[in-house]
Amino acid sequence: MHSEQSGSTEESLSSQTDAEVYQSLRAGRAEALGVLYDRHAGLVYGLAFKVLSNPQEAEDLTQDIFLNLVRSSAYDPKRGSLRTFLAILTRSRAIDRVRSRNTALSSLERWKSGNSQETDSNTPLEYVFQGERSEEVRIALAQLSESQQQILKMAYYDGFSQSEIAERLEIPLGTVKARARRGLLKLRQTLTNYME
Amino acid sequence: MARSIPSEPSEHLQLMIAGYVLGDLDADEAIEFERLLTADPALAAEVAQMQNALEMAYAPAEVKPPSHLRSAIMAAQAMETNPRRSSRPAVTRSVRRFPWNQALGAAAAVVIAALAINNYQLRQALQATQTETPSETLTYVLQTETVEDASATVVVNPVTLEATLTVRNLPPLPPGQVYVLWTVLEQGAPFTVDDKSAILTEVLNVDAQGNAFQTLIVPKVYRSEELVSRVAITVEDAAAPQRHEGAPVMITSL
Repeated sequence: MHSEQSGSTEESLSSQTDAEVYQSLRAGRAEALGVLYDRHAGLVYGLAFKVLSNPQEAEDLTQDIFLNLVRSSAYDPKRGSLRTFLAILTRSRAIDRVRSRNTALSSLERWKSGNSQETDSNTPLEYVFQGERSEEVRIALAQLSESQQQILKMAYYDGFSQSEIAERLEIPLGTVKARARRGLLKLRQTLTNYME
Repeated sequence: MARSIPSEPSEHLQLMIAGYVLGDLDADEAIEFERLLTADPALAAEVAQMQNALEMAYAPAEVKPPSHLRSAIMAAQAMETNPRRSSRPAVTRSVRRFPWNQALGAAAAVVIAALAINNYQLRQALQATQTETPSETLTYVLQTETVEDASATVVVNPVTLEATLTVRNLPPLPPGQVYVLWTVLEQGAPFTVDDKSAILTEVLNVDAQGNAFQTLIVPKVYRSEELVSRVAITVEDAAAPQRHEGAPVMITSL
């Protein structure tokens, strides 16, 4: 009888936007988390697995990321999409884990070998999925200016805020914003034919 | 030209959608965007397309997580939102006041017997509360480097020594071989162990999909949690699993 009840509320939630479901979650509706999980677990787990290459660790991180939605109010649904927030958070947490794993490993290795030689086994933290990109996506990306590509990558991959990007690249904030948005719009326009 | 046809959103609006998907709307834009979205719910589809374009270029393919993860997360959420569940009433409350007045004059033996029963009831009550309390269980998560997507969890009640073992995606073995669950003890623990410091804990029955769910009774050493060093699964000869010849395929981390 209980499950029937939560089934129908989940149904009504499932017709809402992410922002609305997230507000319900913040208001204490536990089943909202299930709806968000069903929509975005594939993205979060896929990213976590890609960076960590270990199913157990990827599960662990996925759990952290979703429970974090309940615990923290870091996401502001008025400012941006939940998927982008989740993707940036997942990637950065996954990279943190790889770093601490590497640190633990290399100090263990140094300890074993009795000296402090540097290990050069740096995993490609800045994982670029170039090999997996389809021809269409490569062509679409090639139509963006280098600066647009760089800014999009810094925003979505590295999770830098626009003002951090402006500072690092030494260009005005307004320019960063405009280039990122124009770049993404261009991508969307070029890719529209493939997104049916 | 007709404004009523909801075709292409204006460039201004499209750039704003891009800003939303990138998560960088400023406060004023956020207010404007929310207003536009309320006025035209169809914009949500535009947002989804923009999101899709970003992810096609910069996100890896989605991967469906193992199905047990959803229930694990929902359970963890429930535990967090109802933390009171694990608090149990103080044990002393259940001690009933002995009716001394009525007992006056009764033989000392009767008093002692009554106290013993009372004490027994108290112990029963204590055990019952411990059994019901989820925080009293020990959970061992076994990990693997070799078998893609496999997982194994042992949840032990240290009071009753009852445990559940859940295994997923361990490849089924050829006839003549079995998976075996071992409890590896700390050096010097006062228990009889094999030459790998291990106690054979259970032989597993994995189904054709590589899954198993078993209840079992674990060795008494789990009452002294600190003496359990690792929990591991190996592949052994079905005829003599106690020989413990296989290396761990799954093991708890340090």
